[in-house]
Amino acid sequence: MNRGFGWTEFWFILSALRWTIALSAVAFAGGGVLGLAIAILRTAPVRPLRWLARGFIELFQGTPVLMQLFLAYYGLAVVTGVDISPWPAVASALTLYAGAFLGEIWRGSIEAVPLGQWEAARGLSLGYWRTLGLVVLPQAWRISIPATVGFLVQLIKSTAVASLIGFVEVTRAGQLISNVTFQPLTVYPVVAALYFLLCWPLSRASREMERRIGVRLGERGF
Amino acid sequence: MAYTFQFGVVADNFPALLQGAAETVELSAAAMAGGLAVGVLGALARNVGPRPAAIAVRAYVEIIRNTPFLVQLFIVYFSLPAIGLRLSANGAAVLGMALYAGAYITEILRGGIGAVPRGEVEAARALGLTKLQVFGLVVLPQALRIAYPALSSQFILLMLASSVVSTISAEELTAVTNTLQSTTFRAFEFYFAATALYLLMALGFRAVLDGIRRLAFGRAVT
Amino acid sequence: MKRRVSTLLAGLLALMAAASVVTASAAQAQALDRILKDKKVRITAEVTSPPFGFIGADGQPDGLEIAAARQIAKDLGVDLDLVQVPATGRIPALLAGRADIAISSLSITLDRAKTIAFADPHGALTIVITAPADVSIKSIADLAGKKIGITRATLEEATVPKLAPSGTQFAYFNDIDATIQALLSGQVDAAGMSGFAAKSIADRNPGKHLESKFTVTTAYYAAAVKPGDWDLLRWLDTWVFIHRQDGFLAGIYKKYTGLDLPDLPSF
Repeated sequence: MNRGFGWTEFWFILSALRWTIALSAVAFAGGGVLGLAIAILRTAPVRPLRWLARGFIELFQGTPVLMQLFLAYYGLAVVTGVDISPWPAVASALTLYAGAFLGEIWRGSIEAVPLGQWEAARGLSLGYWRTLGLVVLPQAWRISIPATVGFLVQLIKSTAVASLIGFVEVTRAGQLISNVTFQPLTVYPVVAALYFLLCWPLSRASREMERRIGVRLGERGF
Repeated sequence: MAYTFQFGVVADNFPALLQGAAETVELSAAAMAGGLAVGVLGALARNVGPRPAAIAVRAYVEIIRNTPFLVQLFIVYFSLPAIGLRLSANGAAVLGMALYAGAYITEILRGGIGAVPRGEVEAARALGLTKLQVFGLVVLPQALRIAYPALSSQFILLMLASSVVSTISAEELTAVTNTLQSTTFRAFEFYFAATALYLLMALGFRAVLDGIRRLAFGRAVT
Repeated sequence: MKRRVSTLLAGLLALMAAASVVTASAAQAQALDRILKDKKVRITAEVTSPPFGFIGADGQPDGLEIAAARQIAKDLGVDLDLVQVPATGRIPALLAGRADIAISSLSITLDRAKTIAFADPHGALTIVITAPADVSIKSIADLAGKKIGITRATLEEATVPKLAPSGTQFAYFNDIDATIQALLSGQVDAAGMSGFAAKSIADRNPGKHLESKFTVTTAYYAAAVKPGDWDLLRWLDTWVFIHRQDGFLAGIYKKYTGLDLPDLPSF
């Protein structure tokens, strides 16, 4: 049963790519909603809320994503007795992870909106929430687009750790095929190339947008 | 099914966990040093070097930043032996981490170099220094100082990323945690403890690196 | 305002306590009844552990333990849900309630029996040290000075390091397939694994000239359930009893390993 690396094998890896994309999309969407809440809490005029959001961000930015995943998959499942299969475990873990990072990015962009905007809105008696929703957030969003797209690249790459709890996305598919064909010199570079095809256009777009918008949110090497 | 927490098991094995944490720091420090070397060479090539070198560096940076670290590790550890380059698990881990960090550090230094006032460069050239001397004596030291915060962040990110090297059997905190967890079946307790250790290390290093910045670069840094 | 917050918190805590009591008592509901009612049984499956579980040429899971799992579902008259896990995930999946039964070449050991309940064994395996022909290993003493690959949460992890001489280096991997890759790429001098896995890898990679050097230990493996699922456990013992008599177990064993099934003791 000595299989070489042929089209069947390549197709197996390629079709696992849809899971990488699905996982990234779900985590990005869920993390987006969570991140918005976190960013709002983080810039709220109420100190305990700011600390709560800050604690959440510190926790997810200060621990490895692999640990977050192991904790969700192996740990919590044993504690709560709830059936957590790989897909919900990874999706939840990555959603929280994305929420923390996006929350921090969007906090930065909210704070980058000129103070003059807040003051002008106060002059118009708009109130905190209306100012936030109608004036500040739309501008903050525009400023944040390059960093947000940059984080999406980071998120797509992070889905690779899902392979370590057996979830069959593209990295795991590569491991399985490498085990059966034993051609790691072919298989892993192919897997890398697939990620590159997904990520590179996004990275370029992010840089292009940054150039056009002109406001830098600070280098954060990922 | 009530789950009884048994943190006593963790306490019994705490020395092993600490040992793992020490190994994580060792790996990360070695990789950071390597990454800095790579980053400086990369910045040099882009700044002063011939065009083919600059293009090669650009390609290296784009490939590393748009593919997952896990896949890069697999290539270093499993694929390279096929062309005769066989590294130990820890060696492959340090190499993989250094190449990974090097790409980000190249970009960070590019930003730092760009922030060095043009006037100084021109003055140095006017004094008759060669391009290489200007880079090494005037530009690089200042770029490093300017980029210090970003470089410190990069160290912490590298230390967190090191957790995936456990998959190629390198010895560090995550590997130790996995072994302890699988032999005692106390998944939640051990992953919780390890996560807490990583968080302490991240926060601790951030404080220390920040303190160093204040001591070494006492005067105002942009 | 403060009083309202603390009342709210108290209410939430009470709700959580109630919920955990309810789910706890729900979990006590007989496992076998639940499987029959839901018409589905969830069984763990390793897919990178030949010949017990691997991905067949058609992309579907296949293997000795997977064949057993399929027969169990058939005999129960329910659908089969294969829960794919790595070696380290077999027991956690069972304890977490992600799977009803763990059948993934789980060798019977006293340590494991502290956390899970084994049924009567339905097969036997050996743990061997395997390496390329040019690596000279004749007995356990020869492991000194060599690097041995071991998969975590397996019988080889529980036995080989204890028996090996000092001066043996070990490399631990989370999954048998990483261990296999390490062996094939020469990252380790030798690896500990089941005799069957060793033979299967040797057959699939004739160019590497792998051979089993010596047997470390032999063990019987069995299906396992969470402690408390005694009705399911009894059914599994009955299943093993029946299929020992009708030759099914001997048949699949021969099919996937090429060997005759040894005599199986029961508890």
